[in-house]
Amino acid sequence: MTEHVATNETILVVGGGISGMTAALEAAETGKNVVLVEKNPALGGRTSQLYRYFPKLCHPTCGLEINQRRLKNNPRIRVLTLAEVTGIEGGTGNYTVSVRVKPRYVNENCTACGECAKAVSTEVADPFNYNLGTHKAAYLPSSMAYPQRYVLDPAIIGTPEADAAKAACKYGAIELDMQEETLQVKAGAVIWATGWQPYDAAKIQPYGYGRFKNVITSVEFERLADPHGPTGGKLLRPSDGKEAKNVAFIQCAGSRDENHLRHCSRICCMASLKQTHYVREKYPEDGKSTIYYIDIRAIDRFEDFYQKVQADPSVSFIKSKVARISEDEQGNPVCWGVNTEGYKRYTTPHDLVVLAVGMEPSVKGVNIPGHIVADSSGFIEADPANGAVFGAGCASNALDVNRAVQSATAAALRAIQVVNKVAKAEA
Amino acid sequence: MAETKVAAYICKGCGLGERLDTDALVKIAQKDGKVPMAKTHDFLCSADGVAMIRNDVANEGVTHIMIGACSRRAKTEAFHFPENAVARANLREGVVWIRPDTEEARETTQDMAEDYIRMGCAEVKAMAAPGGNPNTGSSKTLLVVGGGVTGMTTAIEASKTGYPVVLVEKTGALGGMAGQLWKRMPVHEPFKSPADTGVADLAAQVMGDSNIKVYLNATIAKTDGAPGRFVVQIATESGATHTEDIGAIVQASGFTTYDMNKLPELGGGKSPNVVDQLGLEALAKAAAAGDGVIRRPSDNQPVKSVVFVQCAGQRDPSGTHLAYCSGFCCNASIKQAMYFKDANPSVDTTIIYTDLRTPGNGEDFYRSAQEKGVIFTKGKVSGVQPGSNGSTVSFHDLILDDANATIADVDLVVLATGQVPNSGVDIFAVPKEGEGEPEVKPISILNLNYRQGTDVPQLKQGFTDSHFICFPYETRRTGIYTAGPVRRPMDIAQAREDATGAALKAIQALENAELGRAAHPRSGDLSFPKVRLEGCTQCKRCTVECPFGAIDEDEKRFPVFNESRCRRCGTCMGACPVRVISFENYSVNTVGAQVKAVDIPDEFSEKPRILILACENDAYPALDMAAMNRNEYSAFVRVIPIRCLGSVNTIWVTDALNAGYDGVMMMGCKSGDEYQCHFVKGSELGRVRMSKIDDTLKTLNLETERVRDLEVAITDIERVPEMINKYVEELVAIGPSPFKGF
Amino acid sequence: MSANTAMAEKYRNNFLKEIEEQVEMGDWVKMCMQCGVCSGSCPTNFQSAWEHPPQELFMMIRAGKREEVLTTTSMWNCTSCYNCIVRCPRKLPITHIMHGIAEYAHRLGVAPKMQPTRFFSGLFWKNATKTGRVNELKLSMGLYFKNGFGAGVKEGMKMKDVALGLIKAKRLNPFEILGGHTCKDQKGIQAMLKKAYEIERSRKAAKTAG
Repeated sequence: MTEHVATNETILVVGGGISGMTAALEAAETGKNVVLVEKNPALGGRTSQLYRYFPKLCHPTCGLEINQRRLKNNPRIRVLTLAEVTGIEGGTGNYTVSVRVKPRYVNENCTACGECAKAVSTEVADPFNYNLGTHKAAYLPSSMAYPQRYVLDPAIIGTPEADAAKAACKYGAIELDMQEETLQVKAGAVIWATGWQPYDAAKIQPYGYGRFKNVITSVEFERLADPHGPTGGKLLRPSDGKEAKNVAFIQCAGSRDENHLRHCSRICCMASLKQTHYVREKYPEDGKSTIYYIDIRAIDRFEDFYQKVQADPSVSFIKSKVARISEDEQGNPVCWGVNTEGYKRYTTPHDLVVLAVGMEPSVKGVNIPGHIVADSSGFIEADPANGAVFGAGCASNALDVNRAVQSATAAALRAIQVVNKVAKAEA
Repeated sequence: MAETKVAAYICKGCGLGERLDTDALVKIAQKDGKVPMAKTHDFLCSADGVAMIRNDVANEGVTHIMIGACSRRAKTEAFHFPENAVARANLREGVVWIRPDTEEARETTQDMAEDYIRMGCAEVKAMAAPGGNPNTGSSKTLLVVGGGVTGMTTAIEASKTGYPVVLVEKTGALGGMAGQLWKRMPVHEPFKSPADTGVADLAAQVMGDSNIKVYLNATIAKTDGAPGRFVVQIATESGATHTEDIGAIVQASGFTTYDMNKLPELGGGKSPNVVDQLGLEALAKAAAAGDGVIRRPSDNQPVKSVVFVQCAGQRDPSGTHLAYCSGFCCNASIKQAMYFKDANPSVDTTIIYTDLRTPGNGEDFYRSAQEKGVIFTKGKVSGVQPGSNGSTVSFHDLILDDANATIADVDLVVLATGQVPNSGVDIFAVPKEGEGEPEVKPISILNLNYRQGTDVPQLKQGFTDSHFICFPYETRRTGIYTAGPVRRPMDIAQAREDATGAALKAIQALENAELGRAAHPRSGDLSFPKVRLEGCTQCKRCTVECPFGAIDEDEKRFPVFNESRCRRCGTCMGACPVRVISFENYSVNTVGAQVKAVDIPDEFSEKPRILILACENDAYPALDMAAMNRNEYSAFVRVIPIRCLGSVNTIWVTDALNAGYDGVMMMGCKSGDEYQCHFVKGSELGRVRMSKIDDTLKTLNLETERVRDLEVAITDIERVPEMINKYVEELVAIGPSPFKGF
Repeated sequence: MSANTAMAEKYRNNFLKEIEEQVEMGDWVKMCMQCGVCSGSCPTNFQSAWEHPPQELFMMIRAGKREEVLTTTSMWNCTSCYNCIVRCPRKLPITHIMHGIAEYAHRLGVAPKMQPTRFFSGLFWKNATKTGRVNELKLSMGLYFKNGFGAGVKEGMKMKDVALGLIKAKRLNPFEILGGHTCKDQKGIQAMLKKAYEIERSRKAAKTAG
């Protein structure tokens, strides 16, 4: 929150999701100066787009609130949003990191009063809701957004809309001539916590994602269930807005598949088990879930959550990788396949099919500046060749939140070890 | 300390100036709030507005600042005055954003704002800027309990960071369970074959590190003190006791394998040719030391066929065996099957599983085993019958739907039995109904000399408690972190990661303890509980209730506060019947003064007053976000944020009712097994306390509806306004409180 | 084989090893993870159910159910549409394995004699290898008369319109019955086939040995 000068005793954290925030906070609360770089206009990452967490069915914003309060109270963390790392020079204990900061067109005078949004009518796709809806081109990314500051979408810059927004702001918060800039940030160590992205479901051709409106992904389903989401928390299917009461969950949509992702993404089974709860929560009388799976991977303490869902008569489990999906005349997606437990063929229509899409590291295919050792799936490996660039969270493995937090805490210590050495050498 | 001077600043921005009569608010601050200085500003959070406040602090001697503007969650960077006592009257999210902008609503909206100004002034006067806990310690040494992979990793990582370590291991050698393994599953590309465990390297590093002091054949005899100043007595084999000054503790006491003798139906304990996974590791080690051939224990003949039974005594919903999955066993059996296949591909190896669980790149390891010819069969094993010529494994083949499938003449059966945490004494174990003795593990790990027991509290399955999603390291004993399989089942790779994170948390704890600051979740908080012992009645409620076991008792049964163990939730303050516990910036007074500051209209005004005590972690943000979405609610409520439902003292409720409030709503987080309280037990303890309020209501001759306990989540942005409005309707139906005007 | 040894064979690798050695691409059978996408992808399985779909056959092989696997009609239903291959998450060449098992069963002489695909395949092979050219007339007649003369005539009459159409379009020549067209170098074809058999035999022998 302050503008401390970064030195080679500073830790640079790339990614402001749960892992990056954790790494930054843990390091700062141990007395280290941190620069936290986030490419979106607000912190929170993918967990802030979830409705509930497994296995407690609690809300991710609850933990986010605590983390944001820790951040607000801690002068050691400097947050850069709309910022991306474009280059890393130097070595362990002495990096110079280039950070490209995109213009927000709104400065720190913003009080989040919302007058600019009232003045603007242009709607743009809302990536926070996986583009299931739109929002104004002058917007607060979410109710939990930190920094709590509006953003102008570049689409309206140079149009009368932008001028209207500027005119509506009494606080001089809108600066239409803000320019992209590149900062040079010194750092002793870098924590790379850029998280994951959902596997592109359109690549799984037989499932018809993109062709059939009522085939959606698990991350999109989270937005449907969330009261902050595009349907206000109602489970309505995209094609016709009909209540989605009979929902199929297809596991390993992309994961454990040599045609797509070789690895198991770990979280998808638990996410689907959790999402059956949404169906039951919204339609207690006649909600129905079907999970098509190969192996249910409810690992360690999560097993009792699986047992609870198994005991629920509204949920059925079919051991089968669905072979393909077709669409019937009512727009219902129909799952075709064979239940391999005892060989039973099925062609079952559902109101909605949710693909439990796999987790692809965000770093995959992205040129991380500098030399980074990654495994065949693109996750950053722990390797001495990486110097003081440490992978954390889902940039380093397919992890659930609790393991991502552990990983981020560990990465924070590794970074502290480096900057402590620098401090000792300089003392 | 210098004289107190209070100033009130009222913002006119964000529509406050248009919607409210801010001049009237200034007068209220002066007259009712009795502050000597009250000002308005068009844009208080601007550089100019903040400079005005700073100038008053620097030149006018202002010590206490009351800001009437937006929510305390907003504009925190601008309104950051760490040297001063600060209160925030929430006029934006708390008033104008939740009220309709209509002429008829104007009066009640203004009433609301005026009350919040009165409350803010009353609160800030009752506060002091927190100065930090003076009772600190400065030990920078980490104690690591357990010399397995987790403990050794913690020690090495802490030492690398520059902190000395004392490591205590109960056996005569470092290595723990992993030391008994021949190999581990791979952690690097290409994830195809078993890898060296690395245990010998770790042990050599520990022994060669002058910063790490190792006690072997030693246990913890007693742990006294608090973060930064623990005093730990270490008992060694010789009978001698060594005392160490310790800053923070990592408990890495590991696990024991589930006893396979409890599984006689699977042949456990019935034949030497039925072993658990650890038993097979011993056979593999013996083989590696000899000709490389794994032999069956009964007759030393080479094993030609082996069957692995997954989930043996695990994932059992009946309650007889372990209810959970240990997570590592699928990979472990794959690894062990490879021991055979790598040495001799003609050995038959079959793994019988119900769900094969190899997350992440474990999938490559699984594939590699298939390539090597390991046979995977989805099935449920019903029995293992050891015979003279080998065992017969009976199972239900789930793919072929054959309930009577068998594999005969199996040379060796391996039971994947899973991990049982060595978590010490379960201090909350209660006797099961109808049974005499509580199920308590008899051996303490830490022997904490704490009022609340000798070990870290556990979850229901014996794992040490934590908020295991967002904040997995937070145990309920400050400065003591658990790591490795004692926290949840895990493999070597995860344990090493966990150990590294735990080392950081321990280092952080001792550093903050030295600075007199709180640990998570109020990290950095400089306030701490103060007690006026002269008023204490030794009722012990605080010492019993503290969710973190921070309070001990002296020989006269007075409470002894260990401030560095305290997480600042205020549960002790809520529990204290004589109200002798307080924090500098949060006390019975700071809230009580706000309760009393509200102007209570008479019973004919048709303006009921309802007090809302809202948890600042979840309910208060939910109210804020309801306001951001312009979800309106009644102007008759007055909201006071509280640290935790556990901190609610019943005096606030009885004061409110006596003052003529018509009702009280308490909004806290979910409690119970799936608790969402950031102080673990805080909301639960608050609820138990408030469940007894009915008696008080009866003595006051009041309806029980006048106090309501509500579970609120942070996402309840629509539900909370609805709940408020419904409650107001209910209270209107009941009629005004008879206490008005007294 | 006594009952005891039969039991001892179950879930042992013997039959799997046999398949790996004898069946083309048989060494992929062990890689199946029983997801079932092959069985669900098979169009003929949804036309008329296979007795045992591919993934189940793989499990039966691992379970040592030798006789049931080799005598089933299932793998003969494969029409080589390749849906299973492109979708298999483990990239098993399922189509090839199906044909491989069928061929092995045939080689052992345990394949169901009158299974239509098998019958047709045999007929086709004999027909085509005789002269190096397929004699459509003889091939279809052989197929019609497989269940006896009466049934053959009946079947032939049913198809007479199609046959006449084909003749008109010069796609079918009734004079083929007299011997029909052949390839130029019939001796060469026979030599090629002989060599191919030899290569296959030696490859199998090498695999068994190694």
